[in-house]
Amino acid sequence: MFRKILIANRGEIALRIIWACKELGIRTVAVHSDVDKDSLHVKFADEDVCIGPARNADSYLNMSAVISAAEITDADAIHPGYGFLAESAHFAEICQECHITFIGPPPEVIRLMGDKAMARRVFARAGVPVLPGSEGLVAGVEEAARIAADLGYPIIIKASAGGGGRGMRMVGNEEDLKVALDTAMAEAKAAFGVPDVYIEKYLEHPRHIEFQVLGDRFGNLIHLCERECSIQRRHQKLVEEAPSPALSPALREKMAEAALTGAREAGYVNAGTVEFLLDGQRRFYFMEMNTRIQVEHPVTENITGIDLVKEQIRIAAGEPLPYRQEDIRIEGHSIECRINAEDPLRFTPSPGRIRIFHVPGGPGVRVDTAAHQDCYISPHYDSMIAKLIVMGNSRTEAISRMKRALDSFVIEGIRTNIPLQRRIISDPDFERGELSTHFMDRYQQPLETPLAVSETS
Amino acid sequence: MDSNELKELMQFISSSNFVEFEMEQEGFKLRLIKAGARPEPHLDGRPGQSAGSGQPGTIEPAQVVIQAEASAASSAQPVVTEKLHEIRSPIVGTFFRSPSPDAPAYVEVGDRVKKGQILCIVEAMKLMNEIESDVAGEIVQAFPSNGQPVEYGEVLFRIRPLGSG
Repeated sequence: MFRKILIANRGEIALRIIWACKELGIRTVAVHSDVDKDSLHVKFADEDVCIGPARNADSYLNMSAVISAAEITDADAIHPGYGFLAESAHFAEICQECHITFIGPPPEVIRLMGDKAMARRVFARAGVPVLPGSEGLVAGVEEAARIAADLGYPIIIKASAGGGGRGMRMVGNEEDLKVALDTAMAEAKAAFGVPDVYIEKYLEHPRHIEFQVLGDRFGNLIHLCERECSIQRRHQKLVEEAPSPALSPALREKMAEAALTGAREAGYVNAGTVEFLLDGQRRFYFMEMNTRIQVEHPVTENITGIDLVKEQIRIAAGEPLPYRQEDIRIEGHSIECRINAEDPLRFTPSPGRIRIFHVPGGPGVRVDTAAHQDCYISPHYDSMIAKLIVMGNSRTEAISRMKRALDSFVIEGIRTNIPLQRRIISDPDFERGELSTHFMDRYQQPLETPLAVSETS
Repeated sequence: MDSNELKELMQFISSSNFVEFEMEQEGFKLRLIKAGARPEPHLDGRPGQSAGSGQPGTIEPAQVVIQAEASAASSAQPVVTEKLHEIRSPIVGTFFRSPSPDAPAYVEVGDRVKKGQILCIVEAMKLMNEIESDVAGEIVQAFPSNGQPVEYGEVLFRIRPLGSG
C-alpha cells in the first residue's frame, strides 16, 4: 500500500480523497493555487504545496508543477480526482516515467477511451450496440450528407476528443448540415486542438444510464449497477440517482453485461463508467466510457456499500478486488443534487463570499463539500460547491428526504441553484420517474418568471 | 503611532519574553522579531517536511528587524520604512544556493547583485531553473537553506534596491 498520496485536485473531490486516505492510514499532500491557500483540502491534508497562480494552466493543469510537488514531498502516488488531469493519458505516462503511481487506468486505456470515435469502435467490436452513425471520423460535408441521409434526420455531430457538450451539434435537416458541421469542427479545434468529428443518429428523448465498473490488475472486472443521470442542462448533469427507475432486473443484467464486455475489450483497469443512451423502446446504445471517478459516485456507494475511492487506491496499489460479482447487492435508493453557485433563473455563475452555510443532516443525508461559512467562491473554478446526497429505503422515501434536505440547506451571500433543484425534485414527472435528457427544456421559458417557491438561499 | 511610542514599544518587547510581536491597525502593520529568536531551518534538505510551512531562515544582521508598511489610505507615518524587494520562487521545486554541491553559493547575504544576476537554482523535474534578480541591490536576507523544498510564490531573497539603502 502507498505511504503518501498527492491529490492533484481541489474542492469537494480533493477532500473526498483525503477522507479515504485517512481511513486507509495513508498520508496526504494537497496541492493548491495561490488563491486556494485557505481551502479546506489544504487545511485537512498532512502537507500542502502551492503549485502556481490561479489560472488552471499554471497550477492544477501544470503537469511539471504537480510532479515536482510529488517529488519534493516524496509522494508515491497521485490521485487526479475528476476534471483537470484526470483523463490525461500524457500525465499518466509522465507519472509512470517518474515512478509515481497514477491512480487510474493505464495511459493506453485512457488514450483509447479518450478518443470517442475509437471507443465506439472498440465497444462495437465487442458486440455492444452503438448508435447508428459514421464508421469513424467524417471527412467533409459530402460524406456527412450521405451518412445523414442513410441514418435519417435528426443526427448529432460530436467531437472525437469531446466532452462537456463542446463540438456537439444537433442537425434537424440537410439544409442546416454544412453550417453545423463547420461550427462543430471549429469548436472541437478550439476546445481540444483537433477538429475531428463523427456522426450519430440523434435520439429524441433518451435517458442517460451509466454503469459503474471496477477492474483489478488480475483480470477481475465487476459492475456496481447503474446510475441514471438524465436530468442535464447543456450536457451538465444536475440530478443523479441509483438505481434507475427505468430498468427492469432483466434489462439491468443485459446492459451490465454489455458494459463489462466492452470494458474487458478495452483492457480496463481501475474504476470507470460506461455511458449508454436508452430510448423509448428500451433499446440501449453505448455512448462513451469515462476513465475517472465521477462526480456522482456517491449514489453508487450508497446503494452498494462500497467505497469507490478506497477501491481505486487499493487497485492502483496492486491489490486484487475483494468482491466477486455475486457479492454485489443493491439496497435502497439514492439521489444526488449538485448544488451550484449560480443564478437559479439565468444560470449565470454567482461567485462571492458565503456568509451563512447551514448543511442539512439527519438520517440518510450526506453532503460532500469544501465550502464553509465565510469561504470565498472563486470565479476561477467550477461553480459546483456541494453535492447533496440522500439515501432511502425506496425511491419515494429518497425523494421526500431530498425535499426536506433541500429545504434546510441554507446558503447566503451568493446565489445557488437550490430553488431550481427543489422544483425538479417536486416535478410530477420526476416523481413518476419519467425522465429524459430533455427534461430541463420545460424550464427554459417559465424560469424567466420568478419561482413560486420562497427563496431561502 | 509616533516615534516615541514606537521606541517605547521596542524597548518593552526587548525586555519582555516575547520573541515575536505583530500588530495591525488602520492600514499600519508592525512586526518585531528578536535576533536569534527563530530556529535554524533544517539543513539537510530532507524532503518530507511540508514545504507549506515555509520556514524562514535566520534573521541577520540587524538586532531587531522592523518591517513596516503603511497603506495609501493611512495617514500614519511609520518611523522605519524600508522597502525591501522580494524575490519569490516562480515554480515549485527544490532550492539550491550553488550550481553544484562543491561550488560556492551564487550569492551571500551582504553581496551586491546586478539586475539579471543569477541568485540560485530551483530544480523541478530534473530541470535546473536559474533564478535571476530583477533588481540591482544588496542581498539583505536569504531564506531557504540548500536543498530545501520551496513552493510557488515562496520568498527566496529580500534585496535592498540600490540607491534606497
